[in-house]
Amino acid sequence: METFDVIVIGAGHNGLAAAAALGARGKRVCVLERSAGVGGMADGRLAHLVYNLSEAERRRLGVHLSEVDTVSLARDGRHVAIRGGSAAYADGGAHPDAAAYAALHARLVRFAGVLAHLAEAPPPGFEGGLTSLEGLREIARLGKVGLGLKRLGKAEMREFLRVVLSNAFDTVLDEIGDGPLAGALTADAVRGAWAGPRSPGTVFSLMYRLGQGGRVFRAEGSMGAVAAAYAEKARAAGCDIRVGVPVARVVVEDDRAVGVELEGGVRIAAQAVLSSAGPLQTMLLAGVAHFDVEAARRARGMRAKGSAAKVNFALSGRPLFTGLSEAQHGARLVVAPSAAAVEQSFNPAKYGELPKAPVLEMVLEDGRLSVIATHVPYEGWTDARRAALGALVAETVEAYAPGFASLVTGTEVLTPADIAAMTGAPGGHWHHAEMGLDQVLTLRPIAGNARYRLAVGGLYLCGASAHPGGDVTGLPGRNAAGQVLADGVL
Amino acid sequence: MATHDSFDAIIAGAGHNGLTAACYLARAGLRVLVVEKNDWIGGAAVSRSLYEGWTYSNCSYVCSLLRREIVRDLDLPRFGLQVIPYEGGATFTKGGDYFAYYSDHDALRREIARHEPRDVDAYDRFSRTVIRQCRFIRPFLLRNAPDPTSLKARDLQELLFLVKRAHGLGARELAETMRFWTMSIGDFLDEHFHSPLIKAHLAGSGIIGTGLGVYSPGTAYVLLHHYMGDVDGAIGAWGFARGGMGAISKALGDCLTEAGGVIRTGAGVDRFLVKDGRVKGVALDNGDVFFAPVVASNMDVKRTFLEHTDRKHLPEDFLRGVERFKIRGSSAKLNIALDAMPSFPAAPEGAPFLKGDLHASTSLEELERAYDDWKEGRWSREPYFDMLIPSQIDPTMAPPGKHMMTVFVQYAPYDLEKSGVRSGSHWDDAARTALAECVFDKIEQAAPDIRSRVVHAEIRTPLDIEREVGLTEGNIFQGELTFDQLLFNRPVPGWANYATPVEGMFLVGSSAHPGGGVMAAPGANAAREILRRGAKRAARAA
Repeated sequence: METFDVIVIGAGHNGLAAAAALGARGKRVCVLERSAGVGGMADGRLAHLVYNLSEAERRRLGVHLSEVDTVSLARDGRHVAIRGGSAAYADGGAHPDAAAYAALHARLVRFAGVLAHLAEAPPPGFEGGLTSLEGLREIARLGKVGLGLKRLGKAEMREFLRVVLSNAFDTVLDEIGDGPLAGALTADAVRGAWAGPRSPGTVFSLMYRLGQGGRVFRAEGSMGAVAAAYAEKARAAGCDIRVGVPVARVVVEDDRAVGVELEGGVRIAAQAVLSSAGPLQTMLLAGVAHFDVEAARRARGMRAKGSAAKVNFALSGRPLFTGLSEAQHGARLVVAPSAAAVEQSFNPAKYGELPKAPVLEMVLEDGRLSVIATHVPYEGWTDARRAALGALVAETVEAYAPGFASLVTGTEVLTPADIAAMTGAPGGHWHHAEMGLDQVLTLRPIAGNARYRLAVGGLYLCGASAHPGGDVTGLPGRNAAGQVLADGVL
Repeated sequence: MATHDSFDAIIAGAGHNGLTAACYLARAGLRVLVVEKNDWIGGAAVSRSLYEGWTYSNCSYVCSLLRREIVRDLDLPRFGLQVIPYEGGATFTKGGDYFAYYSDHDALRREIARHEPRDVDAYDRFSRTVIRQCRFIRPFLLRNAPDPTSLKARDLQELLFLVKRAHGLGARELAETMRFWTMSIGDFLDEHFHSPLIKAHLAGSGIIGTGLGVYSPGTAYVLLHHYMGDVDGAIGAWGFARGGMGAISKALGDCLTEAGGVIRTGAGVDRFLVKDGRVKGVALDNGDVFFAPVVASNMDVKRTFLEHTDRKHLPEDFLRGVERFKIRGSSAKLNIALDAMPSFPAAPEGAPFLKGDLHASTSLEELERAYDDWKEGRWSREPYFDMLIPSQIDPTMAPPGKHMMTVFVQYAPYDLEKSGVRSGSHWDDAARTALAECVFDKIEQAAPDIRSRVVHAEIRTPLDIEREVGLTEGNIFQGELTFDQLLFNRPVPGWANYATPVEGMFLVGSSAHPGGGVMAAPGANAAREILRRGAKRAARAA
């Protein structure tokens, strides 16, 4: 039987990041991917921008990324161009809320920076009790975050403690008027989330997005380049990446994971198994009999309802958006006319209906318009409904780019259900598990399993459902690898 | 009494919190004056007779949260306060069935099993968690909220108390507690139950009085605001104050009078008098002026500082905090005089649960849609209501054989939408009547003959509640109970200890920690804070 130190199930970017980190430490790692290619949700068909990748990770990967502006489209043609904290009308005119927006953005980025420290290591936990050695270490680590807060100064620290648990709708509208600018910011807070901007906790998810300063990047070529870079990194570290190899189950003996069995019955042995899937799928792979009722119930109850659909339009020519310069056509284009409209777009999804006016994030590429449409229901999809969503999105784009519809030569609609089927992401959810306050940090993905470990020895989670969460960051994978090494299971 | 007297302390507003604070201060030997704009005391805890023979609890209508420590301290039963527990409740479906809630555990299990056998054990898990959370939170209600940015011994001490309690839970329970505090009531119930009807019955407590939906994070915590009370030590039980909720205010008023305090009704505070950063007294809207070194406002924080205090006395960041403090009207109320007990055809003859809280919302989706209506400035097309007929238990509320019914309605916006414009002024008689008809339609789901039983009905929109009681937007909690407005953030970060930037001026209403409900905790906590500071000052002077 083939033997490795570690088997990683799933070659999404987090699985690859975990593999690369372990490979770099001299471990023999095998990555098994069910589908024919690597990348998972970072694949070019699904993803089109990089939001949250740290400077250091970008350098490590050696990928070439170029920063893009955001243009929030307005029906009256007063589009707003946004780059980081600066906002102006797309035609160059000054935006009345520019100063207030800059201050709000700077503050949120500053706060996000404090929280970002927490993302780069396993979440705080007190499994050994507050007075154990591990507990004291935890206190010391939290103390550092506390110190970071103190450094903000008393007034800012108070503001942090107020807004961190607040909702994006009020936090944004307390500072700026409602319109495309507020719409773009609140849409960022809830894109991919099963929440509208009025939901408490959406400032936290906005801060998560802003953890690396809130800059938005396009990959040279397509997002496939980022996935390929992760794969390259893993290969360079000596990892064996096998695609088209579905894992049937995780083999467990004496409450320890000892390897996997592939579909077809071939077994591969390892001392540790890392899974990019969600906790429930992973438990099912290992056999739910190995877990206590409470843990299984929690895994089943984990909130992961995908709300973002991906719509790819193949184009015969370049569409022209009214009121945008040539360069602005290369920006991230957002349709989110107001914070109120973003909230309204979520209402129908709650009842399994399509939005009346979807919120869109679009990127114009060579021969393609790539669109993320929110909020959509996560289940109940039929071909007719897919077509209806495609038509609705095309109609929405047409309103800003007259003539768009006549350029469309093909429409691909990927619903949350499709995304779940393609990638295995629970519920087709952007973050694999809702980034609600009840499912972040020590509670991510489920209470009692926050440290990447599951109850079966040597079995770990390394996907976006684990701390700190989704976006192409590589952090869940790298943190999981760190935890495996720290636990000494190898 | 002359119109320019001096006192040791003046309380603006004779709501239950103002009266509670006044009682504690008077019992500590201070000469206390309470001024009230209405001709009666009680604020939102009142019993009024608007129709000959009937007594309405016009605003708040049931009692449980009133802290028993306060009842004991002030000896309120001696002043006539009697709380009679009621048992059970029910949610009626459109199809002529119901889910009944019994306080008898076995009866409840049988009723749950009738709807969904899988939910029987789930209920035990649910109530274990809720009771545990109640036990955890109760000790904090009568303490100050610690300021995590402060290094003062007192704040550190409070913080230590919190950490100790949290540590006592153990790692597992601590995680469970953090989760519970940040969850939505909808997710919490979905995790436990299968039956939509049972979920809907239990969800109401998470949204009453709030501007949140059943799927808004934080509503599981709001649920606690409805479970953490007790009647005679039975945690989570609710009761009627005999004679209506005004009985609480009357007992507090009598307690205050006996302790030498003075209550003056019929003229409210026009403005708080401030000089050199210190409060001097109050000027009433009838021209009277009273002086005191301590002035406490029972009004909500917006009303107190944005309408009755000159802005120039307040720091800019504090004002900013007050301005963005969210007080959103979301509830309406119907008080109804009935010529006979309405019939509930679905319920068995003499069913005990009819004496409890009755509802007709049958799924979480229906409740969430009700919330969506409110967000757009409409009242819910299918409103949630919490309906009780207290005269079944307390015969003093209506003439013999007749009944009084109280219907709390969620959601009704304050700023009603009309042709694209939202404004409180859109609440005219036509709108008020249309709202009532909508509620009656929904009540007919439970009691089809309700309309023929009505002899008088008082309809109170958020605007009516604001105008009469003085609660901004008619919000029953004097401010949303969301994370960003609880504990050390309530009402303004850095000012959670009842004191304000104006020296000698305090907040005693439920804009302050721990928030709303007829709990009296903000009043008692504020009085303690006032006395502590007074004692310090006296010590310094000596």
